[in-house]
Amino acid sequence: MTNLNTWQQLVYYFQHNGSYVLRQFSQHFLISIYGVLLAALIGIPLGIFIAHRKKLSNVIIGVANVIQTVPSLAMLSIIMLGLGLGTRTVIATVFLYSLLPIIKNTYTGMENVSDNIIDSGIGMGMTNWQLLRMVELPLSLAVIMAGIRNALVVAIGITAIGAFVGAGGLGDIIIRGTNATNGGALILAGALPTALMAIIADVTLGFIQRHLEAPQARP
Amino acid sequence: MHKIRRFITSCGLLVGSLLLLSGCQPLGIGNRQSQTIRISSLSTTESQILANILSELITHETQNKVTLINNLGSSTVTHESLIRGDADIAASRYAGTELTGTLKMKPTKDPEKAQKIVKKAFKDRYNQTWFPSYGFADTYAFMVTQETAKKYHLETVSDLGKVADQLTAGVDSVWVNHEGDGYPAFKETYGYDFKKVAPMQIGLVYSALAAGKMDVVLGYSTDGRIKSYDLKVLKDDRRFFPPYDTSVVATDQILKEQPALAPLLHRLDGKIDLDTMQTLNFKVDNDLLEPAVVAKQFLQEHDYFRKGAAK
Repeated sequence: MTNLNTWQQLVYYFQHNGSYVLRQFSQHFLISIYGVLLAALIGIPLGIFIAHRKKLSNVIIGVANVIQTVPSLAMLSIIMLGLGLGTRTVIATVFLYSLLPIIKNTYTGMENVSDNIIDSGIGMGMTNWQLLRMVELPLSLAVIMAGIRNALVVAIGITAIGAFVGAGGLGDIIIRGTNATNGGALILAGALPTALMAIIADVTLGFIQRHLEAPQARP
Repeated sequence: MHKIRRFITSCGLLVGSLLLLSGCQPLGIGNRQSQTIRISSLSTTESQILANILSELITHETQNKVTLINNLGSSTVTHESLIRGDADIAASRYAGTELTGTLKMKPTKDPEKAQKIVKKAFKDRYNQTWFPSYGFADTYAFMVTQETAKKYHLETVSDLGKVADQLTAGVDSVWVNHEGDGYPAFKETYGYDFKKVAPMQIGLVYSALAAGKMDVVLGYSTDGRIKSYDLKVLKDDRRFFPPYDTSVVATDQILKEQPALAPLLHRLDGKIDLDTMQTLNFKVDNDLLEPAVVAKQFLQEHDYFRKGAAK
């Protein structure tokens, strides 16, 4: 193996371990997406709620901010104490980190809906629910989507660290690379697909986001 | 309006297809079902290969699914994972380490006795079954490069004593504080001290030695890199390091839930000797093959040890 340079080793590695990398890739992706989806399920309603109750917004966004400042490795270790080893711990960590961008963007998106539009909605006799469903949400959807997009890219990075608590994923390959004799190629073999996943996720969600952009923003 | 509906439908579709993808397994990646057996392994190459061999054996020969809990830092963490119910099987447990570390008993120099004591203690204290050895013992060993060995005429660990005050030693970071067979006890038994001791990841010591960053290192006797770097292993002439016979450990609970499991695991009894383990390690450390790939090849070569299954 020593006669090959790092790139040749990388090609060799993918040729011989392709299906394994693919398995870790999907594992990695699933962990990230479950964490973000859970956070969206909680974060979006919470964001809507605090947008209507301004006094609460400082408290909730403050708490989410504090969560965000905990270093990811420390967070993993803390959650591991409660949930034990394995995928659950990593999903919970991703969930906590995804809360802030999602809550904040939902809140901001709702805030930015012009009062005039809401007033005219009220003037038309809309109920609160109709106002939310037909006016506020459609107008803030693009911003909410941007938050989810942000969260997913961060989540993919955090999941890589999750290999330390035995969750698997592409981080596994990176860790093996740091332990191995000539691990350069192994580290790349784990890191490149991770970066690729983040880019693909970002581009895909960006595409969806553009399609959801409020009609008024387009000419 | 139609946009938001489209958004909600697409979200629904996404969640739905994920659930489909994941099939009957909860979350598609995870655990906590009686059909899923969780195997924990250390961050060493050896442990990961063994874990993958078990995983491949179980998924190939039974209907069960397997989750690997990989990269655990030390035998203590592995032990905890079984005690807390995060894992059902530990892929590699070393009798010597458990004897002094987990059980806090006096080290013994007799491998068979150690195996017996550990087996009984784990059954009584933790309701865990200790399987017979894979057929090889992994032990700590001091090693030097051939040049160093020639220069100072080194053959045994005692020989090191004469020049130890000039040498820096790279050692496994867990070993430094090991009870019974760690650095403090080592100093007592051999009666000397190194100039400097650098604790590091066990996987790094071999290349640190080969690159000349360390004069002497403490590594695992089974590592494939001893071969590839042509290192000189020094004889433990005072028999300081306890025998580290390697075995599978499973919780009694999983063996009860899955009656087919015990005979399956017994297929590996004594099937992997030191040379085989070194070769397997070498394939991963040197030939860039994943432990999963090596494990599969190994089992296919031996037809999943079906012939020996009767005993």
